[in-house]
Amino acid sequence: MRWDPDFLSMLVEKMASAGASYAEARLHSIRGLDVVVMNGMVVSVGRESVEGVALRAVVGGGLGFASSPLSAGREGAEEAAGRAIASARAASLSPDTISMAPARLGRARVEASERIPIDSVSVEDKISRLLEAYKSLEAPEGLKLQNVVIHYSEAVERKIIVTSDGALIETYTPRVAVFYNITAKGGGRTANRWFQLGGTGGLELLDEFKFEETMKDDVESLAVNLLKASPPPRGVMDVVLSPELSGIIAHEAAGHPSEADRVLGREAAQAGMSFRSWMKEGEIGSEYATVIDDPTIPGSYGFYLYDDEGVPARARKLYDKGRLAELLHNRETAAVYGVESNAAARARDYKSEPIVRMANTYIAPGDYSFEELLEDVKEGVYIKKYMEWNIDDVRWGQRYVGLEAYIIKNGRLAEPVRDVAIELTTKTLFSSIDAAAKDLKFYAGTCGKGEPAQGIPVWMGGPHIRLRRVKVG
Amino acid sequence: MTVEAVLDAVVKALKGLVDEYAVIVVDGYESMIKFYQRGVSVVQSWRHREIGVYAAIGRKMGMVWVDAEDPEKAVTEAVEAVKHSGDSPLYAPLPEPSGEPLSSVDVKLKEAASSGEVSFIVEDLELEETRGKAAGMVKVEYNKVHLITSAGADLDYEYTSFNGYARFFEGRDASGQWSWTSTRYDLAAAKRAIGQARELAAECAKLPREKLEPGEYRVLLSPMIAGNLVEEVVMAANAGAVLFGFSFFHDKKPGDLVASENLTIIDKPRDMELPEARGFDDEGVATRDKTIIERGMLKSFLHNTKTAKLMNAESTGNAGWLLPRPFNVEVAPGDLSPEEMLEALRDGVYITNNWYTRFQNHLEGTFSTVSRDAVFIVKGGKPVACTHRVRIADSMPRILKNIEALGRQQWPIQWWEVRHPTRIPFILLSSARLTTAE
Repeated sequence: MRWDPDFLSMLVEKMASAGASYAEARLHSIRGLDVVVMNGMVVSVGRESVEGVALRAVVGGGLGFASSPLSAGREGAEEAAGRAIASARAASLSPDTISMAPARLGRARVEASERIPIDSVSVEDKISRLLEAYKSLEAPEGLKLQNVVIHYSEAVERKIIVTSDGALIETYTPRVAVFYNITAKGGGRTANRWFQLGGTGGLELLDEFKFEETMKDDVESLAVNLLKASPPPRGVMDVVLSPELSGIIAHEAAGHPSEADRVLGREAAQAGMSFRSWMKEGEIGSEYATVIDDPTIPGSYGFYLYDDEGVPARARKLYDKGRLAELLHNRETAAVYGVESNAAARARDYKSEPIVRMANTYIAPGDYSFEELLEDVKEGVYIKKYMEWNIDDVRWGQRYVGLEAYIIKNGRLAEPVRDVAIELTTKTLFSSIDAAAKDLKFYAGTCGKGEPAQGIPVWMGGPHIRLRRVKVG
Repeated sequence: MTVEAVLDAVVKALKGLVDEYAVIVVDGYESMIKFYQRGVSVVQSWRHREIGVYAAIGRKMGMVWVDAEDPEKAVTEAVEAVKHSGDSPLYAPLPEPSGEPLSSVDVKLKEAASSGEVSFIVEDLELEETRGKAAGMVKVEYNKVHLITSAGADLDYEYTSFNGYARFFEGRDASGQWSWTSTRYDLAAAKRAIGQARELAAECAKLPREKLEPGEYRVLLSPMIAGNLVEEVVMAANAGAVLFGFSFFHDKKPGDLVASENLTIIDKPRDMELPEARGFDDEGVATRDKTIIERGMLKSFLHNTKTAKLMNAESTGNAGWLLPRPFNVEVAPGDLSPEEMLEALRDGVYITNNWYTRFQNHLEGTFSTVSRDAVFIVKGGKPVACTHRVRIADSMPRILKNIEALGRQQWPIQWWEVRHPTRIPFILLSSARLTTAE
């Protein structure tokens, strides 16, 4: 970092003197390495440094944002301050009358823990590990691995945030992720499994991911799907979902609809709105429908202790024992609701405005074991992994389709079935949960929202859950 | 530091360090107005100064994108990583340059993007009048792109773009959305798109609500949803998607019949009215308009020199240093007017917009996508009811074979779910499987 907070303070002061009632400057740097390996050969190595200054100003109730890359120098940053003001003035022609809710703002430095620093291991060693993972894959009889692409990604994110009302936050956040796509042929068909692992920390994460094992397990799943699975059952039956499924449900059907900017309609033409725009309070599910979003989980992919407006982070309960609870707020939406921000403002990089985002969203665990969930299912289906999913733009109707799934008969897992689909509303889904296991597990994802779209790292999690009498097929 | 000075410094740093290089500098500005029912939510203004480097040492390949303060140092450090890479199966030497500078600049857009002064757009589009009724986005952009390669390319071009969309609401469950895109300040196109969105919402609000039963229906796709699905087809025709295991054309070859004979899709980098127009690709190869699917037949995958070498084909001028990419997409028109499209639909469902297209199996093409905005239930060629949030849950190969007719008017579409500028008409499907959530 070449620039110190004083330079950012000068930019904030410059915008304030030009008439901004609120001004904010963020120096935001992401430096990353990407390696792509295909079928045991290195396709390419990539380096990226996304570094620049992001500025926001409120003038006459209009909000302006401007950015400038470090490659445009200090002059570029100062010129951006002028563009932020011009942008805010243009916005004030049809103003949203924006204000920032008062908040207990931080003045702190946060360094995420990194046991094995990312730079302490050579690129060759990182590549070797990917090649070894590929070499260790074996296809079961009858299955041919057509294509295996592994993508390793690491990034170190540094930020300094200064606001006109006193926040001063400096952060250092290293992250590591592995993505892969496995394509297999068998039984006259082809299928693929795409998967992502990610966390905040150093290279110790590669051991924690155990991605070599998840890849092997996914080859098995493809073998089950292509070689052993029967067509899916149809009808009303009990369904047990794995943590992989409960995680995506927490994110899509509880996290997104609880974003206050979406509820207010700020994303209406892009990521859509929320059923919580008209369903303000009340019941959304059974007593097992508790969903929490918590940025403070150490090592999580969505980890932070202060958001991008300088507000200290905390866990937020979105659904509480079946009832609608908190919304996720930044300072702008908090002002509209007359509440305090709960620190959900996140920006992907210096080119992005901070907007309301999730961090690590999960369905709270219960006290059952997985076996106990199965025990009193006479006839049903267990979905272990999925590929296809989507949800409508108010986060009400959703669909999940299993990659690996099994019939449950008299409390035991029986034959595999492929492409099992459940398509149900958020209320039906959460109301149907009658038991949750203890086995909370998290999965990494890249959440999309905003215009231009901002993909940000999140965790999605949950335990095994049991749904009673839902429509399958 | 001027762009020319940056290029000189980076090229000087690369010489002697690598065997081959290509350097791209994108230099420009972009401004965006975002609005919704409560007014303009934000006006954003970006300064672009991004430096991209492709470097090859032997058959080892690396890519670098930096916007650091000291690009020369950042590039030098980054190229170090390439030395430690392995021989790439995708490697091919950089080609002799054949491209030409081909610019498309609207001075008004250039000035607006560069200064961040976009107040006149708020006024021209009367955005204050949409308060309480609509949400959307308007974007103006100006960039100059410079390319230098060790194979001799030294090319540049400039472009502007004017792109946006609006979503109108009538009550809680009636809405309509439409978009436009152009290289010039085409106010008429913007107003036409905004008018379309307003009309769809109003039309839906007038009609009774009816729940759709899951099943197979004749389906009319608006250019918005057709653009999204065609983008998936174009992505599947990208040689990169084939190699990386994400294409439902993975077992197809040029000459194979993959769609109804009514469908023709073209990649058109030479359409100067659409913002991805250009005269050279990232390897310096001349771009050209090319048919991807011609009357239902797969005509060409999209290639750069690397995928072309691996798949025994010629570059189609669609580089991408690592993988190819489409530029502007066009679907050839049919001969029906909008009214005739509805008449041809007879009894069926007219879906006006969608989002969230996801594949269960990329290789077999099974997928679903969710409608948003107005969905009309049509009987005897007339909309009789409005519904919403239905899902097409089908397979892409089947959808492609079920294309029965196309409209004669093409619309320039680009938005959140159609990333590439796409000139496309209405598309009529003889059958698609629709579902709803319960």
